Amino acid sequence: MENRKISPEMFRVVGATASDAEKISRPSLTFWHDAWIRLKKNKGAIVGLIITIILILLAIFAPMLSPYKYSDQDLRHANLPPKVPGLEKISWLPFTGYSAEKVDTRGIKTPARDMYVTENMRTGEKTEYKKYHYFGTDDLGRDLWTRVWTGARVSLSIAVIAAIIDFLIGVTYGGISGFFGGKIDIILQRIVEVIYGIPYLIVVILFRIAFEKAGIVTLALAMTVTGWIGMSRLVRGQILKLKNQEFVMAAQTLGASNMSIIFKHLIPNTLGPIIISIMFTIPAAIFAEAFLSFIGLGISPPLASLGSLVNDGIKSLTFTPYKLVFPATVISVMILSFNLIADGLRDALDPKMRK
Amino acid sequence: MLRYTIQRVIYMILTLIVIATATFFLMKLLPGSPFRNQEKLTPEQIQMLNKTYNLDKPVVEQYFAYMGKVAKGDFGVSFQFKNRSVTKLISTRIGPSAQLGLQAIILGTIIGITLGIAAALRHNSWIDYGATMIAVAGVSIPSFVFAGLLQYFLSVKWQLFPVIATNSENQLTFIGLALPTIALSVFVTSTTARYMRTEMLEVMGSDYIVLAKAKGISYFNIVFKHGIRNALIPVITVIGPMAVNIMTGSLVIERIFGIPGLGDQFVNSIYTNDYPTIMGTTIFYSFLLISIILIVDLLYGVIDPRIRVAGGNK
Repeated sequence: MENRKISPEMFRVVGATASDAEKISRPSLTFWHDAWIRLKKNKGAIVGLIITIILILLAIFAPMLSPYKYSDQDLRHANLPPKVPGLEKISWLPFTGYSAEKVDTRGIKTPARDMYVTENMRTGEKTEYKKYHYFGTDDLGRDLWTRVWTGARVSLSIAVIAAIIDFLIGVTYGGISGFFGGKIDIILQRIVEVIYGIPYLIVVILFRIAFEKAGIVTLALAMTVTGWIGMSRLVRGQILKLKNQEFVMAAQTLGASNMSIIFKHLIPNTLGPIIISIMFTIPAAIFAEAFLSFIGLGISPPLASLGSLVNDGIKSLTFTPYKLVFPATVISVMILSFNLIADGLRDALDPKMRK
Repeated sequence: MLRYTIQRVIYMILTLIVIATATFFLMKLLPGSPFRNQEKLTPEQIQMLNKTYNLDKPVVEQYFAYMGKVAKGDFGVSFQFKNRSVTKLISTRIGPSAQLGLQAIILGTIIGITLGIAAALRHNSWIDYGATMIAVAGVSIPSFVFAGLLQYFLSVKWQLFPVIATNSENQLTFIGLALPTIALSVFVTSTTARYMRTEMLEVMGSDYIVLAKAKGISYFNIVFKHGIRNALIPVITVIGPMAVNIMTGSLVIERIFGIPGLGDQFVNSIYTNDYPTIMGTTIFYSFLLISIILIVDLLYGVIDPRIRVAGGNK
């Protein structure tokens, strides 16, 4: 029993002090750094990010570096199939410059031939067209590589402008409505509830019809007529949640004006959901633009957008499928990669998902 | 509940009035004339036409006359099709569209729910990843792009399906409707699969499923009687966005496959500046979509007692 007695000699100081306990052993992470680490783990989002960057670079530089302009017509070389240097020798790839072998309803075969070589009917002399059209040419002899990337540029610009306008109107409207509350909020929200019920694409169609000719800005504007509603509701909800927290009271005590509290303190704290919402707006706007172009309400020719190119492609599907395949692939991949990024961002920025 | 319903119906009517007003005044701003070959008409003839269609009265008067008629379901007479009322035009065109839309919804929901359940039950397996990929791709590929590719590969290249949905007597054929239905159902499939997967995962991880397992109920019964039934309820909420997508999708898909439906009619009326038809179809579409969303919201409260709709989101 005696040796169980606890004496002070049995203890020694191991060096733990009060200040050590408070020490931060790992580097502290900001919210954004933390989100970035989580985003990096999401393979889909990273693939989406890389593809989006490639697409944006192509949309910016491909039309600049191309020897053709998107509006250059050359009727002698219309409807040429795609031909790419290096790949032209690989017969199973669709980049040989040969037309496809066709069998008509009576079973008569038209063999594949090199469309880049024209034969003079009388003399039998063959002349070769030495240039390359990576995606072929359309019925007016315009280079489709240039047109597809110009179209991608137009589609992206419309989507980004629409997203920015949505953001500006939505944040201001939602911010004011949520922060001031009371009568202002009631009136603003009544208006929102009425507009919210209007089907988005129907409004876009109507407003687009009202403009005789459509450029990038008019199309973007048509998309924002009711597009900002979602953003304003989101911002209002976040502001309602935040406005009673201590840091707002502290700012008010220090004499900050209402506007500076909204835009300097509240809005930055709702940036996460706002960014997610913008990232979902962009693919939706690309889609809406393509849809408008498809029903003939899109960008006015000779300028092209991905939607109008798809529309042109479907019209001559039987004979020149490449006119459909390239713009269709680009637009699908573009919307897909934006959606992947948006999905990844949502998982990375949403605190509820933290484990 | 009753108060909420009345409130929602009032908002619905207000929204419709806003749409009808916006439509009316935007149509007035429209460039171009509805009368073809206007250069060949004498001023007297144009005046007569304007008088027949009430285009010579002041805009405000036209507006109130129009709104009064719309309230009675009369959208006026089409400019393009002589002596045919827009209401009649819509009612003859709605059949093929409704058939296509319903087929797409049924096909899409069945595939989507199956995919979602399979993905959730085999969480983090290749089935799950595959289903998720299909779902993301399905939301991303515009239905008309998908329709175009389907038409090219299955109809033109391999000739498995007809290119046009109607036969020589202008009747819709089952085989002809196959491709448009598939193209239109892609969005439905992906959204339902996505929702179903999330809901099913949540339900299968909940306490009552653990209890059911502890009681020794067979796996089959747990999945079907306890799991799927509860997971299905929130999926109802996707009906709203689905209806919107089916409608916009039908505008382009009917054009691609030559289906004589309402979507095709609407796009045609835009091309031909047929104001009464544009206005009528717009209001009709809006009415349809707003009612569907309203019914879904109300139904949701009735079916799932856990949801309280009291006062909406105020």
